[in-house]
Amino acid sequence: MITGKLPTRTKTQTHFFEFLVVWTARIVRARYQQSALGILWALIQPSATAIIFSVVFTFFVDVNTGDVPYILFSYVALVPWTLFSNGLTDMVNSIVENMNLVTKIYFPREIIPLAALLARVLDFGIALALFVPMVLYFQRPLLSPALIVLPLILLIQLALVAGLGLAGAAMNVFFRDIKYLLVLGLQILLYASPIIYPVSSVPEKLMPYYFLNPMAGIVESYRAVLLYGTFPGPALGLSAFLSFCALAIGYWFFKRVEFQFADLI
Amino acid sequence: MTTLIQVRNLSKRYRIGQGSRSLRAVLAAKARSKNGRAVGEEHHWAIQDVSFELEPGQALAIIGPNGAGKTTILKLLSRVTKPTSGELHVNGRLSALIELGAGFHPDLSGRDNIFLNGTILGMSRAEIKARFDEIVEFAGIGAFLDTPVKHYSSGMYARLGFAIAAHVDPQILLVDEVLAVGDYAFQMKCYAHMDKLRTRGTSLIFVSHNLEAVRQVCNRGLVLYRGRAIFQGSAAEAVVAYSDALRQAARELPVVVPTEDGLAQRVMTFDAEVEQVSICDADMRPATVLESGASATVVIKVRFNKAVSRPLFAFTIRTLDGQLIYNITTRWMGITTPDFDAGEHCRVEFAIKLALLEGTYELGVDIASSDLTHFFDRLERALAFSVIGSNGAKGVAALGAQVSLHRIPNGRVPTATFEPIV
Repeated sequence: MITGKLPTRTKTQTHFFEFLVVWTARIVRARYQQSALGILWALIQPSATAIIFSVVFTFFVDVNTGDVPYILFSYVALVPWTLFSNGLTDMVNSIVENMNLVTKIYFPREIIPLAALLARVLDFGIALALFVPMVLYFQRPLLSPALIVLPLILLIQLALVAGLGLAGAAMNVFFRDIKYLLVLGLQILLYASPIIYPVSSVPEKLMPYYFLNPMAGIVESYRAVLLYGTFPGPALGLSAFLSFCALAIGYWFFKRVEFQFADLI
Repeated sequence: MTTLIQVRNLSKRYRIGQGSRSLRAVLAAKARSKNGRAVGEEHHWAIQDVSFELEPGQALAIIGPNGAGKTTILKLLSRVTKPTSGELHVNGRLSALIELGAGFHPDLSGRDNIFLNGTILGMSRAEIKARFDEIVEFAGIGAFLDTPVKHYSSGMYARLGFAIAAHVDPQILLVDEVLAVGDYAFQMKCYAHMDKLRTRGTSLIFVSHNLEAVRQVCNRGLVLYRGRAIFQGSAAEAVVAYSDALRQAARELPVVVPTEDGLAQRVMTFDAEVEQVSICDADMRPATVLESGASATVVIKVRFNKAVSRPLFAFTIRTLDGQLIYNITTRWMGITTPDFDAGEHCRVEFAIKLALLEGTYELGVDIASSDLTHFFDRLERALAFSVIGSNGAKGVAALGAQVSLHRIPNGRVPTATFEPIV
């Protein structure tokens, strides 16, 4: 039995928030102070991938994206995908990377992985900003009423990454194989989501299962809102349900095992 | 005022070899196991059945040899880990000074790291701002506030780490063996600050090997030995109990000591035993505080349990962080000692000149067989003593520098010697 007089609830919450901000700032500053190109990396990663995909899927294999240039089509999906992939990877490694702190000082452990994710949200914002000049260059419509759902889509995506990331970060402390599993899983999900191809090319037979991958509905919704100016389809509802389930389970699992982190030496 | 910390029958068990494993190893172990429990899983009780209390304003020292469970207790108190059984009540804000500069990022400036580390230690942004100047002042890093901490010297790094942790203003401060990193002046500053906190009502739990510091800072002591609390009482009594425990440990275990040539393993036999060790001042009075540069004598009283032929006597002086300052044996001094019979006693005196600067040092003594195959007795930390009264020079050796200054007329090298002007 352990008892302790805890600070008042509001004070704890304020401190939690301050800690999260400070730790996020630490990650962001350290990341961009260490690299020569700094914050530009947030743009380079999705842009380079979009260019590679554009070359391959325009000149080598023809993917029909209607009247939308392929590079726009893929970039709008690669920006949230990069957030998913980098956010999840950073979260999974975050506790292990800070073991030295975790084994010595007590603080709510979920701050470390959540800050890792928040730091990637900044990258997401920067990469998304580049989308604006791209749309203008290709003379596509930029503003639409559908844009008001954009924060909701982001929220659903963050819930998904946070849930998976919290569970992954905790498991990575116990089993170091998780990082290999993660690489494999991300590879499969990249092809299981409508990133390089439109949903219309998904075979009829697989369609009933396709949106069980929450990222499929999320990516499709970003594309609908940002590229076509239409509201997301019902698939987003399923994605939202699955994402918040993932968050609940991931958080529950993380809190259940966090006290064992310091016992692993 | 209520008791700040109440610990009752606290135990913590670790699984041996617990650590990150690959999934395959876990699955394989599960497959081999019966009723779900892995085969060959061993447990180790890091601490067992430990009880103590901490009242407001008290300073409790937790001392014990390595592996006695000191770190585990600190981890339990700071809630980093959970006990296997027992009760632990903490009533008050607790700050742990366990690692100086925890979470410092080398690329960030001192200023950024103060906010970072302060937040990790539980301060709010407003609290850090309010104490910012005090922290900078205490750490003495004013000019380097915006320099990345990777360019700091290890001393500056430690000072900043301590300054932040010490300004958390907790009701209970846990201090681990962290002060050994700094220089003497820094350590004194830290002890003085801990004293100041205590007079303001902060209670202290201090884990240290530095017995002198324990006596100086603490009023109560808890001695841990192999996970159990073997003694509780005043700090001074605890220091004695700790020394006894160390010797007991040496007696029970065949202590394996690495040799100078690294070939043989040496085992203590206790054919001859150190009965008493002291360091005496110029008037041959045992002392713990000695004047820099003065004459002193290391006195070892020995009892021979068996007949021993031409034993070697040696003593060692180290700094608190283990840096060897001086080690001498009777053999290196060219002395052949006589044979001793069982039941005999002898007194060995090494006269030395204490050419040491201000600081605290540890004295160790050894008795070895003439062929150096084994130790009869060995006390690595027989006692600690402090040296005072040097002129402010830094370091450990009092080299006794004299200065003379000569003015050179017209910038030419003088052909004749001039009278020094100082």
